[in-house]
Amino acid sequence: MKILTTVKRVVDPDAKVRLNSDNSGLVTEGLEAKMNAFDQYGVEEAIKLKEAHGGEVIVVSIGDSAGTKEIRTALAMGGDRGVLVTADMSEIDPKGVADLLAAVIEREAPDIVLMGKLSVDSENNQVGQRVAAKLGWPQATFAFTCEVADGWATVGREVDGGTANVRVKLPAIVTADLRLNEPRYASLPGIMKAKRKPIEELTPDDLGVELEPQLIIQGYSLPPARAAGEIVDDVDSLIDRLQNTAKVL
Amino acid sequence: MADHIVNKRDIEFVLYELNDLLALTKHEKYEGMTREDFDIITDEAIKLCKEKLAPLNQAADAEGCRLEDGQVYVPESFKQAYADYGAGGWIAMSHNPDLGGMGLPVPLAIMMAEISIGACGSFMFYPGLTVAAGHLVENFANAELRDLVVPKMYSGEWTGTMCLTEPQAGTAVGDVATTAVAIEGTNEYKIKGNKIFISAGDHQLTDNVLHLVLARLPGDPPGTKGISLFLVPKYRFDGTGKLGERNDVTITGIEHKMGINASSTCSLSFGDQDDCRGYLIGKPRKGIVYMFQMMNEARITCGIQGLALGGCAYRLALEYTKERVQGPKMTERDPSAPNVKIIEHPDVRRNLMLCRAYTEGMRALLYRAAIHADTSHTHPDPEVRERANDMMELLTPIAKAWCTDIGFKVTELAIQLHGGYGYIKEYAVEQYMRDVKIASIYEGTNGIQALDLLGRKMRLKKGGVFLMWLQDINEFLQANAEHATLAAEISAIDKAKNAVAECAFNFTMMGKADPEAAILGATPFLEAFGYVEVGRLLVESAVVAQPKLDAIFAREGATDDEARRQVVIDNPEARFYDSKIKTARFFAANLAPKAVFLAKTIKTGDRSALDIVF
Repeated sequence: MKILTTVKRVVDPDAKVRLNSDNSGLVTEGLEAKMNAFDQYGVEEAIKLKEAHGGEVIVVSIGDSAGTKEIRTALAMGGDRGVLVTADMSEIDPKGVADLLAAVIEREAPDIVLMGKLSVDSENNQVGQRVAAKLGWPQATFAFTCEVADGWATVGREVDGGTANVRVKLPAIVTADLRLNEPRYASLPGIMKAKRKPIEELTPDDLGVELEPQLIIQGYSLPPARAAGEIVDDVDSLIDRLQNTAKVL
Repeated sequence: MADHIVNKRDIEFVLYELNDLLALTKHEKYEGMTREDFDIITDEAIKLCKEKLAPLNQAADAEGCRLEDGQVYVPESFKQAYADYGAGGWIAMSHNPDLGGMGLPVPLAIMMAEISIGACGSFMFYPGLTVAAGHLVENFANAELRDLVVPKMYSGEWTGTMCLTEPQAGTAVGDVATTAVAIEGTNEYKIKGNKIFISAGDHQLTDNVLHLVLARLPGDPPGTKGISLFLVPKYRFDGTGKLGERNDVTITGIEHKMGINASSTCSLSFGDQDDCRGYLIGKPRKGIVYMFQMMNEARITCGIQGLALGGCAYRLALEYTKERVQGPKMTERDPSAPNVKIIEHPDVRRNLMLCRAYTEGMRALLYRAAIHADTSHTHPDPEVRERANDMMELLTPIAKAWCTDIGFKVTELAIQLHGGYGYIKEYAVEQYMRDVKIASIYEGTNGIQALDLLGRKMRLKKGGVFLMWLQDINEFLQANAEHATLAAEISAIDKAKNAVAECAFNFTMMGKADPEAAILGATPFLEAFGYVEVGRLLVESAVVAQPKLDAIFAREGATDDEARRQVVIDNPEARFYDSKIKTARFFAANLAPKAVFLAKTIKTGDRSALDIVF
């Protein structure tokens, strides 16, 4: 079974990100980079599938060349080889990511693609869906269970108000939610082995993809600071303020 | 979640900026290793310690160990943790890959030791003793025994212990009375005797425990020259490693201690039924020699305990003082002025700064020692190897004693910073003080370390090793004497160094005139030496940090003090480098002069401690 999984290098979600002086971007200097948390679930599921069915796990990332670290980490967990598409992430929108990824998938022709449901930095939650649409493949998003047999995947999905089960014919796109599994740690022997696994570096040109962002970021601004609260004397004045000042009653 | 257990940025600074870990990768042993590999290892180490070890720490302390029907039970949560730790390859990170070690540079193993001891100190006795015992077997046992047991130890299948102490033989290890008698027609020996204070001496974590036991063969001379080393298993095993019946090793008791409560400290009785069998390691009568070759490693690990537990306590205190609100600003005269976080109070800041300077100083000292240790094994040039080994020998007693005394001091200050809450178990900080105290006692008490420094290490190569150290620090001080921003700090370290050097030369005369009085100076001398060495490394850190800070200021266009301060507030890298400079300044102004003071007290030759009738 050929399994393709994706990883994105993101700024540590626990780090304090600031705007730069002209509000045109974020200051990330000195902040830690990590593998997007949801991608860890996708990678773990990919490795579990390989352990159950045999085959190969290909780890794909898009970003600057430092992204080999996140690919290498996934290879240390048990992936077999990597593909890094080098691109400037500040000039690329979810459609661009989906176009690049779809091109890699067409080249590799995997049986299943496992991705994180979204990346914790921009939280667009678009790429899995766009890739499926572009390829004309079935999709099962927000997976918390995933069983593969006889050319079909049965996926439990977390949806508003409960869960839903879907069966999709392979090849298909599955995006992982955080209850799908418990990602393993990379072991030192795994890290040593990963050094010898190949990582292919490609450019958008190599893939024949022209990036035309449809989403252009004009600037960033912080939400306005919250105004101070007010202590009212009694319940009547509270109701009065809610009705007449805040106009919420 | 458990963020206080590690300061990743400072570890990376010490590994890659103050020292050059990547220079080691030029040595054949580490060929092909890259910064990316080390970064992945660091990230996985932190993840494992934060997520799998740190959550066990407080509960394991409360639960402790128990002895039931001759078997010790340690907290059950340790079982999975030990399996994870072994499967991850973390037990023998820097040891021989042919025997299941990972063959990584020593400083990375020191890093993992720091993080994991901070996460759960009492857990770390099981892998720590195992790798120490395994390393002895690796170096000195015959190939057959080595190839059979070392891979099982390094992978986490079996654990190991070090059985030195007996009721009458603690610091005086030469008084060991346990005996070993060859069993004719076999390669086995019958072992008989009692050992106490055996860390990780028994537990339910693995199928077997291998005790490395110091014992005497019949007719061997008394004292340390008549001691041999034996491997004594809890369960016997055959030539394939298959376990057989239980050996005649009885666990007669476990200690109930002040700290490290989940580390089982056992009393062991060998040969109660006259049927305890073991194997000789290496040659007869070489037991102490073998043991001492491992001593540097064990003593550096003690220092790491001071750093790790002190560091955790400091970072908890830092978090606490940023949250706790008490009293208005001291300079505020208006009685209705708002109360502020206690980190705004000067005396609180002074205590925090002491903790910080000590913690970063310990880290600089111990990681530099780790670089020396690695260089002494892997550098292609024998002269460089010898130099590194000499430096390591000289600095080991300081790394052990200074870091364990200071580590304890930091945990105590961190409790103080918590006020009354620090004394309460719920606040976690008190555990660090209880857990770290033992480190100044075992592996040679700190008093013994001071004697080792003064009596042996200062005399190495007829004082040539100390002169080499002196030359090294002088070169650093001279090269930076005119430093644009740090000349005052350089000068403070220079004064402290001169005091220690003068003191060292005086000892020769004192030793002749009044040897006992000279020995009174050993402990203050070690302390003073520590202040000089650590002061030098903190100022060296500041020298490294200054141009990096200036570059950030230049890039951000910060040309006046106010703009620079804003950059330091906003930019975490600028804040880090700025704090390096402030920490060095604080140490040079407040702590380095302690060396001068201590040297003065030694010089008085006061012998009242000897003359008094207690």
